[in-house]
Amino acid sequence: MARDPRHDVLFEPVPIGPKTLRNRFYQSPHCTSFGAELPGAQAHIRGMKAEGGWAAVNTEFCSVHPSSDSRPLVSARLWDDDDARNLAAMADLAHEHGALAGIEFWHGGCVAGNLESRLPARSVSQMSDDSLYATSCYELDKAGIREIQGYYVAAARRARDVGFDIINLEGAECGAITQHFLMSKYNRRGDEYGGSLENRARFWLETIEQVREAVGEDCAITARLCVDTLNDSPLGIRAAEEAYRFIELGDHLVDFWDLQAGGWVAAEWAGDDAVASRFAGEFSHREYIEAVRGATAKPIAAVGRFTNPDTMVAAIRSGVIDIIAAARPSIADPFLPEKIEQGRYEDIRECIGCNICASRFAQGAPIVCTQNATLGEEFRRGWHPERFAKAANHEKTVLVVGAGPAGMECAMVLGKRGMSAVHLLDEQDALGGCVRAISAYPNLGEWGRVTTYRQVQLDKLANVEVILATELDAEAILIYGAEIVVIATGARWRADGMNGPTQATIPGAEHDFVYTPEQVSAAGGAIDGEHVLVYDTDGYFTAVGVAEMLLAAGKRVSIVTPFPNLSPFMFLTGEAFRVNRELRVRGVEIVPNHLLSRIAGEQLLGQNVWAPPGSDPVVWHADAVVLVTQREPRDALYHELRADPQRLEREGIESVYRIGDCLAPRTIAENIFDGHRLAREIDTADPATPLPYIRELPDVNRARPVAAAGA
Amino acid sequence: MRALVPVKSVAVLERDFTLAGATAVAPEALEWQLNEWDAFSLEAGLRLVEQAGGGEVAVVSVGDEHAEEGLRACLAKGADRALRVWDPALQDADALAVAWVLAALAVKESPDVILCGAQSSDAAAAATGIALAGLLALAHVAVVSAIEYDGAQLTVRRELDGGATEVLRLSTPALLTVQTGANEPRHANLRAIKRAREQPLRMLGLAELELHPDAVGASAGSRTLRVLERERGDGPTMLGEEPAEIAARIAEIVAERMSA
Repeated sequence: MARDPRHDVLFEPVPIGPKTLRNRFYQSPHCTSFGAELPGAQAHIRGMKAEGGWAAVNTEFCSVHPSSDSRPLVSARLWDDDDARNLAAMADLAHEHGALAGIEFWHGGCVAGNLESRLPARSVSQMSDDSLYATSCYELDKAGIREIQGYYVAAARRARDVGFDIINLEGAECGAITQHFLMSKYNRRGDEYGGSLENRARFWLETIEQVREAVGEDCAITARLCVDTLNDSPLGIRAAEEAYRFIELGDHLVDFWDLQAGGWVAAEWAGDDAVASRFAGEFSHREYIEAVRGATAKPIAAVGRFTNPDTMVAAIRSGVIDIIAAARPSIADPFLPEKIEQGRYEDIRECIGCNICASRFAQGAPIVCTQNATLGEEFRRGWHPERFAKAANHEKTVLVVGAGPAGMECAMVLGKRGMSAVHLLDEQDALGGCVRAISAYPNLGEWGRVTTYRQVQLDKLANVEVILATELDAEAILIYGAEIVVIATGARWRADGMNGPTQATIPGAEHDFVYTPEQVSAAGGAIDGEHVLVYDTDGYFTAVGVAEMLLAAGKRVSIVTPFPNLSPFMFLTGEAFRVNRELRVRGVEIVPNHLLSRIAGEQLLGQNVWAPPGSDPVVWHADAVVLVTQREPRDALYHELRADPQRLEREGIESVYRIGDCLAPRTIAENIFDGHRLAREIDTADPATPLPYIRELPDVNRARPVAAAGA
Repeated sequence: MRALVPVKSVAVLERDFTLAGATAVAPEALEWQLNEWDAFSLEAGLRLVEQAGGGEVAVVSVGDEHAEEGLRACLAKGADRALRVWDPALQDADALAVAWVLAALAVKESPDVILCGAQSSDAAAAATGIALAGLLALAHVAVVSAIEYDGAQLTVRRELDGGATEVLRLSTPALLTVQTGANEPRHANLRAIKRAREQPLRMLGLAELELHPDAVGASAGSRTLRVLERERGDGPTMLGEEPAEIAARIAEIVAERMSA
């Protein structure tokens, strides 16, 4: 089926200087932690998107010189010819699939920690950065400015020489020297590079001009500009003022504009450049982009977590943007453009806006995606998100018990691999498992896309039967007639307060006013009592979800946690800043750095984590307690089945596997990966043991001095 | 209790299909499965036999080899035996012609109860069961939503408009057409599905039912003259970009139509 004609506009080519985007889909620069050191992974994650129809694919932020390194966070690097050769693999693969390859140049200035090079950071002004401890930088003199501009030019020549089509000089998210020059927050210079906006813009504009002179005939030039820092500070960037003027000043130097709003710096509305779905839906920064539209007739690319072609068309038709930029939607579905092109709308694997992708970068770890288990596995495991080889043992029949994320994914992939019959069974009357309760938490509705995508796919697979509202005991599974049994029965929250920090249960947890998250969900938050104390040692979304559900049910909520902040994991996903702020605004009392030691009737006894042994306990009062401490696998069925190998053999069951939370309670992303992995490898000699993935190793024989760095 | 359950394998159309000739869809776009309503009539039959403490459920389908898919699904769920009636003369048989064939079979089988799906999802004529009752001059109730059996009589419910429920009692032999939701159809486990694949299906031709192929056409009430693809319109009209703009335009259209 062809695409709907009203989406035709998305497939119009867009000329950008010497190059042309084949359509309006632009994979904006996004981190992967692959950099230039894992060239295979880098090439194939971008190449997959090129294959999926994106007109351009970009690297992540790419350091132009050793004087700016982001360790332990991983950037790409273009410091020498070896880096260029490694990144060339990505450009080549993009070209093979008809896409343009873009590279996003970065020099970090004061935010470059330089933990690898040990060089002192150089910046627009002498200052301490607000995301690094006990370190500072020195102010560039004019010779230093020329030198840094020279790094950009040298990197541009290297990029051009290995085939990059788009050179992007970024000044976004408050993390690049270009933007530091532009913002009076950082720029305290008294020379022609400081003071007025024209002066503050000078460094960046000169740099673009020099890069343009060097490679502008061969490459499209763009700048990634933060048009609004989304704060109330007079030192920030306002779209209608500084950004508008900057675009006017630089418009003759670029072929198109790559615009975004917000940043990752705590003092700003951090994380809001990549807004999580709990805060906003598609194109939530539209007003900021619209505010600068009048400053340029050049094409504008902007992100908006676009997954719906109708929203994309509306954004184009309104004239606000010309190019659909996307990071997360391209991560969740590298084939988004192709699916729209072919009218396969129901096959689009929509981003759920959980930002687990960003959390990996924030830990220096390879990127993953909740929705797309193949992300980051394109090279090292050879996984393709849309292609599934027929299993060598496809004549086998499979019973998957449990239709949560792991079970759904496993059954879907087994179905796509052509198993003769797959039965996916769940005791609940709908698909989804734990996602049902999670997506019912206030603000997490979009997480339900984990279920809806798989439901649609399962429905299309003639060899997969979904059987709901059916509970099987071990005996029923034994006589079910499946040769392969996969147990995906999930996990449950501990009711006894067993927790990580103390590795002990909490005395008094057996009181009837003590609840698990499941019990709160079942009651829709309407449990007995007015004031509820939530105790969190989990550190992610559950305590927040429980608290918001209780608030919605009219409760007064206190959250006690041994962590220094509520939900520390959300600092990695960019949600923590707003969650900590907004729950406080809504009257939630947050008590960090405290353990809940004992529930003694109405007295809840706690301890400051720094209190010396023998200190008097802290006493709280509440009508109810919710323990968000840890989950344990629901694996009894698995062990019961495995206990009698002779019986399994007699019944014709060749193998019994467990996946997802039933094996080890983890994130939804890991559960889906686990189910996917088993199904991908169901025909190996030992499917329970993952096949080795390919490691990319540095070559000791290629050791060489790093590029020289002057002052 | 001997129950006869006539079932149908229905063709589910894939999204992309082409027409083959004047009266058919190209077969590669068709996927065959048991008619949704028949899962409920089969379940009703299985439960009646279980309640009666003995007897059998026989399923029958009038159709070519595609009918076997549905029959085997019924065997897997617990039907005792399956019959398929086919003759090339039945290729274009409509509901009345199928009922005419089923009537001949029912006379031979002489079941206590005949349970049909209220309709099929493809033709949606909702006629076969009632036509069969007419041909056999059987007591019948259409579109029943609940069935009870006390060993002698059937008590059935029908949902009527406005939330009213009709309760009827009838003696066997009788014919019921069963609505979806009347019960919770059981599912077959893989072992039963595999076993059903090996079970024999009894094939019957028109001669064994003492019917003449030439009479099929005469028994039919209708025939398909032509299948046409629906003409595609211009698609929806987009009213605007902004919610306020769209709402204003909708208000205008409503006002125009209301005053016209």
